[in-house]
Amino acid sequence: MSVVTSPSQRRFTVRDARELVLRYAVIIALAGVFAFFSLATSTFLTSANLASILVNNFTLLAIVAIAMTFAVSAGGIDLSVGTAVDFASFSFVSLVLTGYPVGLAAIAAIGSGALVGLINALLIAGAGITPFLATLGTLFIGRSAQQLLTNGGNPVYLPQTGVPPLFSFIGHGHVLGIPVPLVIVGLLILAASTLLFRTRFGRVVLAIGVQQSVARYSGLRVPGHIGLVYVISGIIAALAGIILTSTVSVYIPNSGGAFMLNAIGATFIGTTLSRESRPNVPGTVLGVLLLSIVANGLLLTGLSFYWQQVGTGLLIFIVLAASFLNRRGRSD
Amino acid sequence: MRMSPTIDNSKLALALRGLVKRFGGVEALSGATLEVERGTVHGLIGQNGAGKSTLIKILAGLYQPDEGSVEINGVHHDRLTAHEVEKLGIHFIHQDRLLVPSFTVGESLFLGREPRLAGLPFLDRRAMRKQAEDILDKYFSLRLPPNVLISELTTAQKQIVQITRALLDKPSILVFDEPTAALVRREADILFDLIRRLRADGITIIYISHYLNEIEALCDRATILRNGKDVATVDSRTTPAAKIASLMVARDIDEMFPKVAATIGKPVLTTKALGKAGKFRNVSFEVRQGEIVGLTGLLGSGAKDLVRVLFGLEAADIGEITIEGEKGRPRSPVAAVARRLALVPEDRRGDGVALGLSVAENTTLASLKRFTTFGFLQRDQEYSEVDRLIEQLAIKTDGRFAPVRTLSGGNQQKVALAKWLSRQSSLYILDEPTVGVDIGSKVEIYNLIGKLAERGAAILVLSSDLPELIGITDRILVLYRGAVTREFKSSNTTPDEVLAEATGAHVSRHGEHSHVG
Repeated sequence: MSVVTSPSQRRFTVRDARELVLRYAVIIALAGVFAFFSLATSTFLTSANLASILVNNFTLLAIVAIAMTFAVSAGGIDLSVGTAVDFASFSFVSLVLTGYPVGLAAIAAIGSGALVGLINALLIAGAGITPFLATLGTLFIGRSAQQLLTNGGNPVYLPQTGVPPLFSFIGHGHVLGIPVPLVIVGLLILAASTLLFRTRFGRVVLAIGVQQSVARYSGLRVPGHIGLVYVISGIIAALAGIILTSTVSVYIPNSGGAFMLNAIGATFIGTTLSRESRPNVPGTVLGVLLLSIVANGLLLTGLSFYWQQVGTGLLIFIVLAASFLNRRGRSD
Repeated sequence: MRMSPTIDNSKLALALRGLVKRFGGVEALSGATLEVERGTVHGLIGQNGAGKSTLIKILAGLYQPDEGSVEINGVHHDRLTAHEVEKLGIHFIHQDRLLVPSFTVGESLFLGREPRLAGLPFLDRRAMRKQAEDILDKYFSLRLPPNVLISELTTAQKQIVQITRALLDKPSILVFDEPTAALVRREADILFDLIRRLRADGITIIYISHYLNEIEALCDRATILRNGKDVATVDSRTTPAAKIASLMVARDIDEMFPKVAATIGKPVLTTKALGKAGKFRNVSFEVRQGEIVGLTGLLGSGAKDLVRVLFGLEAADIGEITIEGEKGRPRSPVAAVARRLALVPEDRRGDGVALGLSVAENTTLASLKRFTTFGFLQRDQEYSEVDRLIEQLAIKTDGRFAPVRTLSGGNQQKVALAKWLSRQSSLYILDEPTVGVDIGSKVEIYNLIGKLAERGAAILVLSSDLPELIGITDRILVLYRGAVTREFKSSNTTPDEVLAEATGAHVSRHGEHSHVG
């Protein structure tokens, strides 16, 4: 055996294979859980169930996770995405209930999401508080504010009848046979990935996220961009609030917080798809898809709710560990 | 050339002989020898890139030499590891060696070798405190409370913690690597005093610096490195500094610093009576098109602060800045860049280039507007500009998409410069542009600076590498304690003359400082 091998001869080594597996951990995990649940349960691989995954598990989390992706791209985090969901939901229900047109109520809902984002923006870009603490503060204040607004946390129901048709169209309607929430998510994915990947704004956000001081020393408007990122995050999260409300016809105080941890998980799972471990919209969407399939599949296996949580946690851990190993392997 | 008689072998604490170290095609050391007599302070001097750090890294067991031998206390060592080096009692004091900011002084001193209560897995906190206090008291006449956080200490105090940490191990050889780089004069004097007392206690000291006055004041003997070789070992107490300086820089200056005469045009930057409380005062100067102006001063002289004010990173209190005929002090880097100012900062990896971004992303970071229509990036235009600059600056990279992290220091610095070329800046402020850059890239960077001036850019270079500063600039402003004390014509001065001005030797002649030699 010759000691010297040409590059083409040692094209594919065990090390390459390892790197490939680690690099595409998300996709492999997706295929794996898909195959597993298809075999383990009789109900998983049915068109009704797959559609339900998309509508019930995927949609809302995808929106909130995209909001999170913006904050993480700028090197921060938004723990108050759920707060924006809640306030959008509250505004939307309240205004529709008082008789305002649905369109106007939706705009107001988006405005309240933006307002939550603006508070974060002022705390982070203005006052210089770290994103974690600033958005945590917003989360806590938002929680108390909702209890004050609802006499200690009473849900606000919409009547079963007399609701404008446009309202339920958002949650239950179809366009060309596709559920409206999915259409909204699809458009959002396109818009968000374009904004982050194709525009000057996205490049500046990326630079801030990777190395903020270099962005500053390059004459970029760092605080302005950071502020804008949190406002955008609030606006996107508000979309989830609108869809949530029109699906279930009720505003339940502090229900948006449930998305936050999964959104963070999906965003970081998504970073494994990027060679430089950058947050990216397609990766986030795949992360959401993975979490959605696992949540749905574990439900079908009949495992208790708590074991489902353990399953989700384990999965996030495995994917992130794979990514970590990969990065360490490359720096050697 | 050996200027002092060869030392008796048995007296040598350390002998590195004929070291050769190659990195790829570049020879960082080409047969360097360093012999250090026990119980002396031995200076190691040379310009950036002369091979000092490579030599020290070999001694530290971080690099293995390609050729040559390493002898410590008469024992030959073949493949030293960092661990063995520590066991042999050789310790290194680096200016930028990391201490964990959130640890206390006590924890930092004993990190990794905490004394334990006999036979028990518990820390002997009493013994830790006692040992630390003894050393601090003996050498520093200082009470540094062990529970103070590292982040609360000054640079000098952090250095004391490092030295104390080394002394706890009862070292036989201490290596000081540019220890005064971040110290103010008074702190440096304390350090020198300490080093003399360590010598009196029989510890061998290797002292690395490029400040000649320090070598003169402190060292018994000094080895001068140039281009990877030891050109001389001299008795530094009797050898004139000018002689040492000439040994340091005696290379083909013309080849190293290819100065092109550029046509001097209109003023690009003018400052009038610029001042910032506690930093600098009454600074007035101008930089014209095609002109390369040097700025130098020791740490604390205000030179760094001046640069920060010019680029809008900090606000001045008083005075006027005019850029390309337009009055007004830049209030932020955003404003400075909008007025076509460029800053290549000293902390290249912190502020100059984003290591996690690609060459392309770094290169266009300050000029994205050029490549944007309706907010969308025009990648084709962007990449053709990036490729043009990669070629023009001869940036060695694995393509435009390679992360800047993967580039060598010199090539990273070229990317930091390319960013401003893409911006088409009119005034370039270069802060220590060649620190940590290999000799080859250095000359390329000098060439590039010359070409920029030729094309009508105004350039302000801040550097503590005086031969470099003299070699590439037209004139040099010296800041001393916040004021421009003198201006030199570069073609008509020497490193010693500039250094004397920067160190305040002109003042000490009148007795303000006294320097024990």
